[in-house]
Amino acid sequence: MSQYKMTASTRNVLFGAIGLGLVCMVLTWFGDDGNHSRFWSNFLHNSLFFTMIAAMGLFFNAAGITAYAGWYTTFKRLWEAYSMFIGIGLIFLVILGLGNYFGWHHLYHWANKADVETDTILKGKSSFLNNNWYLFGTIIFGGLWAFLAYRMRQLSLTEDNHGDSSFKYHKAQRVYAAATLPVIGFTSAAMLWLWLMSIDAHWYSTLFAWYSTVSAFVAMIAITILMIIFLKFNGYLSVVNSNHLHDLGKYLFAFSIFWTYLWFSQFMLIWYANIGEETIYFKERYNNYPALFFINIGLNFLVPFFALMRNDVKRKIGSLVFVSVLMLFGHWLDYFLMIKPGVLITAQHAAHGHEAATEGAAHGVEHASNFVAGFTMPGLLELGTFIGFLGLFAYFSLWILSKAPLVPKQDPYLEESIHHHVI
Amino acid sequence: MSAVVSPIRKPLITGNKTYHQITEDLISPTEKTPTKAWIIGFIIAVAVATYGIFCIIWTIWVGIGSWNLNRTINWSWDITNFVWWIGIGHAGTLISAILLLFRQKWRTGVNRAAEAMTIFAVICAGLFPIIHMGRVWLAFFIMPYPNTRGPLWPNFNSPLLWDVFAISTYFTVSLLFWYTGLVPDFATVRDRAKGLRRKIYNTLSFGWTGSAKHWQRWESLSLILAGIATPLVLSVHTIVSFDFATSVIPGWHTTIFPPYFVAGAIFSGFAMVLTLMIITRKLLKLEDYITIEHIESMNKVILLTGTIVGVAYLTELFISWYSGYVYEQFAFFNRALGPYWWSYFGMMFCNVVSPQFFWKKSWRRNVTLTFFLSIVVNIGMWFERFVIIATTLARDYIPSSWSLYSPSWVEIGIYVGTMGIFFTLYLIFVRVAPVVAVAEIKHILKTGGNQYVGENAKSHTHHTNEH
Repeated sequence: MSQYKMTASTRNVLFGAIGLGLVCMVLTWFGDDGNHSRFWSNFLHNSLFFTMIAAMGLFFNAAGITAYAGWYTTFKRLWEAYSMFIGIGLIFLVILGLGNYFGWHHLYHWANKADVETDTILKGKSSFLNNNWYLFGTIIFGGLWAFLAYRMRQLSLTEDNHGDSSFKYHKAQRVYAAATLPVIGFTSAAMLWLWLMSIDAHWYSTLFAWYSTVSAFVAMIAITILMIIFLKFNGYLSVVNSNHLHDLGKYLFAFSIFWTYLWFSQFMLIWYANIGEETIYFKERYNNYPALFFINIGLNFLVPFFALMRNDVKRKIGSLVFVSVLMLFGHWLDYFLMIKPGVLITAQHAAHGHEAATEGAAHGVEHASNFVAGFTMPGLLELGTFIGFLGLFAYFSLWILSKAPLVPKQDPYLEESIHHHVI
Repeated sequence: MSAVVSPIRKPLITGNKTYHQITEDLISPTEKTPTKAWIIGFIIAVAVATYGIFCIIWTIWVGIGSWNLNRTINWSWDITNFVWWIGIGHAGTLISAILLLFRQKWRTGVNRAAEAMTIFAVICAGLFPIIHMGRVWLAFFIMPYPNTRGPLWPNFNSPLLWDVFAISTYFTVSLLFWYTGLVPDFATVRDRAKGLRRKIYNTLSFGWTGSAKHWQRWESLSLILAGIATPLVLSVHTIVSFDFATSVIPGWHTTIFPPYFVAGAIFSGFAMVLTLMIITRKLLKLEDYITIEHIESMNKVILLTGTIVGVAYLTELFISWYSGYVYEQFAFFNRALGPYWWSYFGMMFCNVVSPQFFWKKSWRRNVTLTFFLSIVVNIGMWFERFVIIATTLARDYIPSSWSLYSPSWVEIGIYVGTMGIFFTLYLIFVRVAPVVAVAEIKHILKTGGNQYVGENAKSHTHHTNEH
């Protein structure tokens, strides 16, 4: 079967997941504090996580094309499909960008004009940390990613029908792929500072953008493994075999270790130098989120390190699914831990500001050391929202996949990929 | 590995080579009498190395006072050169370990020379911290062992000590990796040799017979060493970067340093591999084994790593402003516009701007331009370390202790001397061992030879992969 067709049951399950997500978001909204911090931070968390996964799909496909990689052609349509999700993710991020203007949410401390006026540090950053940069940066840079993703997929589809032995469509893809690398390389850093690092508006770390990018990359590989196994179980992608999964398992293993390396580099240097402006980030997480802090590093490092070390494990479907599910969830937690503590501080600050006017708006966020539902630990509503977004991502990817042959034709590396053999 | 080769892949071995011709071409340089060019080069290298050793002895005899370091700038050319040489060593490990894991077949053309270069570069690098100790005869104090000096142990909290472990591990593993690869090739040299030469190469090859069992053990060992070497590529320069980044000095303390140092190291390492290989392929007539495709691939790595370094420079620059931390802001203001502005601009131009020429395919394939730019990159990477070290130290927290620095003749002599040592060792290496890995080239002949793949191939698909 070369053409994927979504079955009714798959569609129902995914719609069910999306529905569950919507219900959870509505419930979150009504049980929230006055500024709906929990709702908006969940929205940001999942939008950003899946947008970055989509961007990493684009990036890895571009890197593979540039590096003459011949092994992944049989399933490259998956990465092309993920990359199309950038457009959906951008809609969400634009909503957040508009929210900054209209005060829909209080996720970013720097968006609070009154506070910026009295805060020297935030004032100093205000030529970058402002509503315009956030919104137009998202639209322009994110739009550029979406454009590159769209062009690369179009060329790949054209190659299916019109490709010949001159490989001119592949060569055209090479141009876009080469351009994608620096575009994502430079702009993703700037956008991650805005979307993510600026939540802790005073804090800064030069490594942060690379760290959060690699986190999404590992999650992208995990989703890819799960998606391939799902498709294979439904009788598709018979040309993808345990050799391809083995290599994906290696990527999951290697980049989990690379993620750990970046985690350690950032943490250790900040801990060692002990400069107050920097330690504040980890101090907050270590003191008030100790469980998540250790689960994050334990889950995302120890599990893949020990589980995937052996060769044979990377060729076994069951073990791969187990580790991939954990890694997807683990890096989702990593993003949770990057986002929630800063949002909570800003929320508490905003709530206390409102307190004079509306008594009781600050319920539940009074003390940082106390348990705050949806912040200290992901609750059921967070999990439900995650399932909703995951359902959306999966539905969208499968929908895109159903529009073209699953295995590309006329790709110059197709034969290499079909005959791919490890060891 | 896949025996099917994509029609758009270019051959990696040209000239319709047979297995025998490969042996002839690659072993014969070790059998002939040295050429005039080699002899002249060797004499120059040894002379320069001798001068460098003289300067080292001078330093030890007179003391560190013979250098122009002062209380403010207490690290300068010494540590700059140390980091520069360590960085150059990185390409060898990257090519032999990481490119092996990524199944990049073009690595076989250059891995042997790159690994040799790694070892020689680490030797040169290791000299600097040892000389800088001043009393080199007490260098063994850095070794943590139960000692007779009372409770006197090295400071385990110091990244300088971590360096000792990182670099000695790196040197050991690189040496083992390089030598493991050499064993079958030494046996090939032996099989063609007579008399004493045969005995020597037999010992060097550990009596290799080429039996299936030998190959099987050899492959297992190579894989294990590749597994160990891969984290080493990251760890060595990470720990070198910790020498700076664990401090609280603005411009040194930044979290991006570990991965950015690693990228920069690979960048400079590839530049040095290109410098050496372009000369070597010409003099030893290895154009069929180190083809334009190899040069192009390496130039792409240069472009990639140069641009990664560029992202890191701009990140540092931007975050120094973004941090709102005045000392951090001043450190970068001083780098770009202070008394050493020329080194900052030299760094930016050589490392970030100059590799961008390689976006153009015909320029990536231009050997003269590549040779020129590979030297430019190495100058740039030297500037980078000088910028980080001397420029930052020259302007510390107390303006009354601000200072400037220029090297003394002894410091220049030692630096130039290490190049003499490096080239002496490299020139000896090209005489005694095959510069290109014979066994590994033979391994890719059926999937990389131009009679099997590319335009001149007899057929495009379904070769059997027999060895």
